[in-house]
Amino acid sequence: MKKNITFISKAILTFSAIVYSGCSLDVVNPNNPTDGEVLKSRDGLITLSVGMRQIYSTSALGALILTPGTTARELRGITTFTNIIEIDNGGTLLPNFNGNILAIWSRSLRVMSIADDIVLNAPNILGTDPAMLSGVLSHAKLLKAMCIGGIAQSFTHTAIKLDKGGQASFVTREAGLDEAIKLLKEAEQSLVATTPSSEFNTKVTGVEFNLLNSVRAYLARYSLMKGDYVGAIAAAKSVNLSIASSFIFNVLSPNPIFNAIQVSKDYAPRDAFGLPASLIEAGDGRVGFYLISTPTTFPTTGGDPIDGLKGFATTNSSPIPVYLPDEMRLIIAEGIVRSGGTLSEAVTEINAVRTQSTGDPFLVHAGLPAYSGTIDTPSLLTEIFKQRCSELYLSGLRLEDSRRFGRTAPPTNVNPIPLTFERSRDFYPFPQQERQINLNTPADPAI
Amino acid sequence: MINFYLIKKRGFRCVSLALMLTVSVLAAQGQSVVITGKVTDAETQQGLPGASVLVVGTTNGTITDVDGNFSLNTDASGNSIKIAISFIGYTANTVDVQIANGSTAPVNVALQPDIRSLDELVVTGTSVATSKRQLGNAITTLQSKDFQLGTGTSIDQLLTGKIAGAQITQNSGNPAGGISIRLRGPSTINGSSDPLYIIDGVLVNNDSPQLVDLGGYAQNRLVDINPNDIERIEVIKGAAAAAIYGSRANNGVVQIFTKRGKEGNVQVDFSTQFRVNEVRKTLPFNQHPSRFTNLTASDASQVPVERFDFQDKIFRKGIGTENYVSVSGGSATTQYFFSGSNFYNQGIIDKTDFSRNGFRVRIQQRFGSRATLSAGANYSMSTSNEIPNGGINEAYGALTGFIFSNNTVNPVKDPVTGKYPSTASVYNGLRRTNPLEAINRFEFKQRVSRFIGDVQLQLNIIEGLNFNYTLGIDTYTQLSQGYIPPSNTTPSYDLGFSRRGDQNVFQVNNDVSLTYQKEVKDWLESTTAIGGTIQYDRSNSTVITATQLGAFGQTINNGASIVPSESRSERVFMGAYLQQTFGIKKKIFVTGAGRVDAASVYGLSNRWQFFPKLSGSYVLSEEGFWKDNLVSIASSFKIRAAWGEAGNLTAIGAYDRFSNYNPNPLGSLVGYSPSSTLGNIDVKPERQTELEIGFDLGLLKDRVTVEFTYYNKDVKDLILNRTLAPTTGFNNRFINIGTMTNKGFEIQIKAIPVQNSNVKWAATFSYTNNKNSINGVEGNGVLPFAGGFSQVAAVNGYSLGAFYSTFFARNPDGSLLLNAAGLPQRELGVQGANGNYTVGRTSGQPSGSPLSKVIGNPNPDHIVALINEVDYKRFNFRVQLDGMIGFDVFNFTKRVGDNQNYGGLKGYERELRGEVPKGTSGALFGIFENWIEKGNFVKLREVSISYTVKPKVLGIQNMRIFISGRNLASFDNYSGYDPETNAAGQSNAVRGFDFVEVPIPRTYAVGVNLKF
Repeated sequence: MKKNITFISKAILTFSAIVYSGCSLDVVNPNNPTDGEVLKSRDGLITLSVGMRQIYSTSALGALILTPGTTARELRGITTFTNIIEIDNGGTLLPNFNGNILAIWSRSLRVMSIADDIVLNAPNILGTDPAMLSGVLSHAKLLKAMCIGGIAQSFTHTAIKLDKGGQASFVTREAGLDEAIKLLKEAEQSLVATTPSSEFNTKVTGVEFNLLNSVRAYLARYSLMKGDYVGAIAAAKSVNLSIASSFIFNVLSPNPIFNAIQVSKDYAPRDAFGLPASLIEAGDGRVGFYLISTPTTFPTTGGDPIDGLKGFATTNSSPIPVYLPDEMRLIIAEGIVRSGGTLSEAVTEINAVRTQSTGDPFLVHAGLPAYSGTIDTPSLLTEIFKQRCSELYLSGLRLEDSRRFGRTAPPTNVNPIPLTFERSRDFYPFPQQERQINLNTPADPAI
Repeated sequence: MINFYLIKKRGFRCVSLALMLTVSVLAAQGQSVVITGKVTDAETQQGLPGASVLVVGTTNGTITDVDGNFSLNTDASGNSIKIAISFIGYTANTVDVQIANGSTAPVNVALQPDIRSLDELVVTGTSVATSKRQLGNAITTLQSKDFQLGTGTSIDQLLTGKIAGAQITQNSGNPAGGISIRLRGPSTINGSSDPLYIIDGVLVNNDSPQLVDLGGYAQNRLVDINPNDIERIEVIKGAAAAAIYGSRANNGVVQIFTKRGKEGNVQVDFSTQFRVNEVRKTLPFNQHPSRFTNLTASDASQVPVERFDFQDKIFRKGIGTENYVSVSGGSATTQYFFSGSNFYNQGIIDKTDFSRNGFRVRIQQRFGSRATLSAGANYSMSTSNEIPNGGINEAYGALTGFIFSNNTVNPVKDPVTGKYPSTASVYNGLRRTNPLEAINRFEFKQRVSRFIGDVQLQLNIIEGLNFNYTLGIDTYTQLSQGYIPPSNTTPSYDLGFSRRGDQNVFQVNNDVSLTYQKEVKDWLESTTAIGGTIQYDRSNSTVITATQLGAFGQTINNGASIVPSESRSERVFMGAYLQQTFGIKKKIFVTGAGRVDAASVYGLSNRWQFFPKLSGSYVLSEEGFWKDNLVSIASSFKIRAAWGEAGNLTAIGAYDRFSNYNPNPLGSLVGYSPSSTLGNIDVKPERQTELEIGFDLGLLKDRVTVEFTYYNKDVKDLILNRTLAPTTGFNNRFINIGTMTNKGFEIQIKAIPVQNSNVKWAATFSYTNNKNSINGVEGNGVLPFAGGFSQVAAVNGYSLGAFYSTFFARNPDGSLLLNAAGLPQRELGVQGANGNYTVGRTSGQPSGSPLSKVIGNPNPDHIVALINEVDYKRFNFRVQLDGMIGFDVFNFTKRVGDNQNYGGLKGYERELRGEVPKGTSGALFGIFENWIEKGNFVKLREVSISYTVKPKVLGIQNMRIFISGRNLASFDNYSGYDPETNAAGQSNAVRGFDFVEVPIPRTYAVGVNLKF
């Protein structure tokens, strides 16, 4: 027995002598950096700034343009996918689990979350480089404002402060716009006080994206939506209209509008921007800029003709404008008219858009004769709406405009909403994914 | 032992495992003895070829020759020696052999045939060959004869109906269609519930890589293993039995032993078969001679149309062939086995097929009397031509196109233009795939090249003390290609699509164990085992997708847009266990074990885990009172109980605990953005605690045996890929928050109602009852899953994969509450937690938000199987019926086919005939309750008839001719193709999802087996 025990001990020792060479349980992820690396380093925050804008332009932007664009009748959904059919139909039957609605919501909030991370960490990490810090912070604030504004154009409420615990609180869309305006003002002040370094321009914005003008343009846009006409006019006037600011794309980060319309063929532009005859003029150069007008009728669309798309979606790397300079002219005109200003000044701005046949940084030229209609508030508002519909086609603004200009609201007792209505919803229901988890989710709008 | 805890962390990655081992083998003492004898069947007195003869306490043994004779050289120190004689299907026997002058008298042993003996030897979960009587847990063992005529294509398919406690579902009817196995219910939500597979000591990979989207279907890689090579399978079903396998054993363990060479003359086995596959049932299609002019509810006008059945152009009769040859034999010290196989099988969808070619080698070499080395190698090449179907993510499949088409267009190619016509709906013009174009123009292929090898060393150090080392390697490369030429009818890839995906998988396991068996006192036996393992796996994949293709050329280079992606994963596991069994008077057995375990998948704080186990068995029939009074009725009776814990680490990937950032270059700018998954560094393995209690009862001299087990599996720390509110800024996060229970019982009754010299009738009945329930889902208690069109969720208090969606608004009397237009509508109101809700009514009509509730359960309450086998003279008849009762199927196929936009199925005719208001199908489309159906089925799974002759020509020992059939009939009331289906493939959570997945074919085969 003793011999056996000795032997067992020996064997266990032998067994223990198994040598493992270089076998570690700490395996480093070769695929991705982690939050510790990205949020706590200078290079990390710089590259995260680029990634944030890339996510916005390839993911959030598509949702912010295509879905409200379909609701506001710029586009028709033409695939089998139920989510797109549901958006195309609109009306009270639009379910809250619709994926397109979720996309507007979640993709914007995701970008907002990245912006928050940058705003939180940048002062510590980039504190020694104020010119970089000013650029990075202002850029993050612009993107956050764009996300809040984007959501506020589609939903009655938004979150402005995120909660990883899942119980974020909501504010009304008006309060959301206030927050966006506040962020944009902070960004503008910072950019004016401390010009971003050339390193920031080289590594974050690149040559195509102009930060200061984009901040001012969005400040004008949201001030107008909020009804701050003085602020809107001032901000719009501060934008340099000769400068183009664009989101850029390439094969790996493709233009989302091109993908959805030319590749996946999920949507198609409606003929004549989907506008009733009273809102479009013969000879408008923008029709030919944006559309390939060889109307095809789809049996599904009840004879509703659809066109091909050109504009900013001709290839997978076509740039999309961050804003169109002529939006500023139309903001000024609308601000003047709505605040009871001098109507002739508004007409001047309108005509600058109508008669433009050269010089637009994005080549959006109406080439129409000067405005010859009645010069009164309702007529000019209709004209401004009309110009916005053509000039700003497929930029995600039509739904907001349709409401602001008091176009006829869709009925609550007909499904799907007939095409005679210029929009098929006012606002979207809050996504099911939010409602199922977040008890603060407000009630859905009736339509 | 201690060294396992103190392994130094090194800065570089584990690439190789070096094993340095010195073992001092004690010099053998004593004399050399030759033992000879014969092993016979106690009933027929015929010699038993292939029986195992082993000197007890050593690895020194031999195999009886064709007449049952054996001769064994050994060393003996005393004047007697114990030898153990065992043979599959017989009760093992141990005899004392007296030695006189270095030799013994001939040893003649007659073995009793048994059906379910308590003395059958098993190793799974025990590490030492152990008789079933010692086990506190249930274990299922299968022999090759249980499945050799089953005409299944893979091991898991052949297991269907043969394991009590198992739910085995074939998810797709493709020729290599995937299979899911659940032992005693699912054990995880986010990971895989498929068991751990071990083949000859090698942990084998059974992933289902989906490198190209085939609509949801994927092959599970067990399909690379040729079932003909299998000799024996052992199955343990939960943590109580599997604790020593640690954090990989939550789902149970299936251990497979392949054939080995035996001492004796060369034996050659050859088999060949021819098979035919056909679709068992097609869907009744819409034959109404007209269609609505438009979909305006008030316009009932119709225009005449011609209608077509697309299915007869999609399905075909597939044929298949299989050839298999094996050669085996060997001397007393060296044995070999070699096999080669060639399998080809066409699918019932035109242009699909699967082929598998491979070989297997095993060599066993004995060194002296105390060491044995066994090495095996298996190479296989699996190739398939695929046609996408289903449509969980992509809608370019053939059957997908069929269900999304109006059948008023003839889908055949235009003979003039050579183009396939659009079968798009005339109502919405939405693009969809012409099924015949999918079949004839698309090229989808997969190829898997796989090697599995093992080396096993056994050392008998001293009597009773054995050392085992196993090195196992499993490596494969899967290549998948998909090509859709430009200018087609698909919804999304009109400009063409080409994808190439490669995955390289490498797994290695090193296992060592030391076992010591000792008779401490004449009433007390002790078995001690300690073991350790190091496992490493690596998976690298590259997927490149090209779109906007040129008119010619299939490779990705032909695309204007090329998107590559690559991912790498490495995991390291370490573990060690200690297990001790005491046997008291050969009737009471107690086992305790503990395992420590670490995986690189988890963070430091939760990396090391401990899993204990305790079990006992009491063979009451060994007691005197039983032998005196009860043995004439109940020949054997054992009660057993086992408790244990095990883990699961399939729920998250190698790096999922981190908050990872993905590269997002933007032109020349370098960018990173966070994954939509929020990291959780403290995530830990899921842990299952299982209690099982049961008995094994033999009646009438074991002519009837009953095995009964009750079990209760509690899984805690379930890792849920929790969907987050988007206002978190993220989409999902892995959190250890869920719990799950599986409660149920399994019973298997084997009986031999008739046994005489001409006829033997054996019947096996299995029944499993399982109730699965989930809890701990945070928030509102509902966790939706991807892959089920948002219609599947984990809901607190309900079973995994519950269908959670919209339902009918009803009046208080249960009748449908119709809207003003007389159409059914979905219920509205206020949604509460855990699937509860408050119905809203305004002016008698539903009001509020659309409500969801649990509308169906895909998990069967009851699983039954009945196998009858009759041997009559030289004939063998075998019939297997098996079924699942008490589960629901989500019939998405019908939902689409009955819809007004498509309307290709019979169900839409009633609307055209005016039997229901126009628009009814449109209204029902959004009420998912309407599409839930009972899936209950019993299938005539296997039927075979074989006839054995001994022609005595060409050296043929015997020849068996057989005809067999598989899935010949299904007894069910399901309206779709087959209630046994899952368009989401081997998805763990999304089950029972019928969405134009290829139905399981009916197969007939004829073949011959020859033994030389």
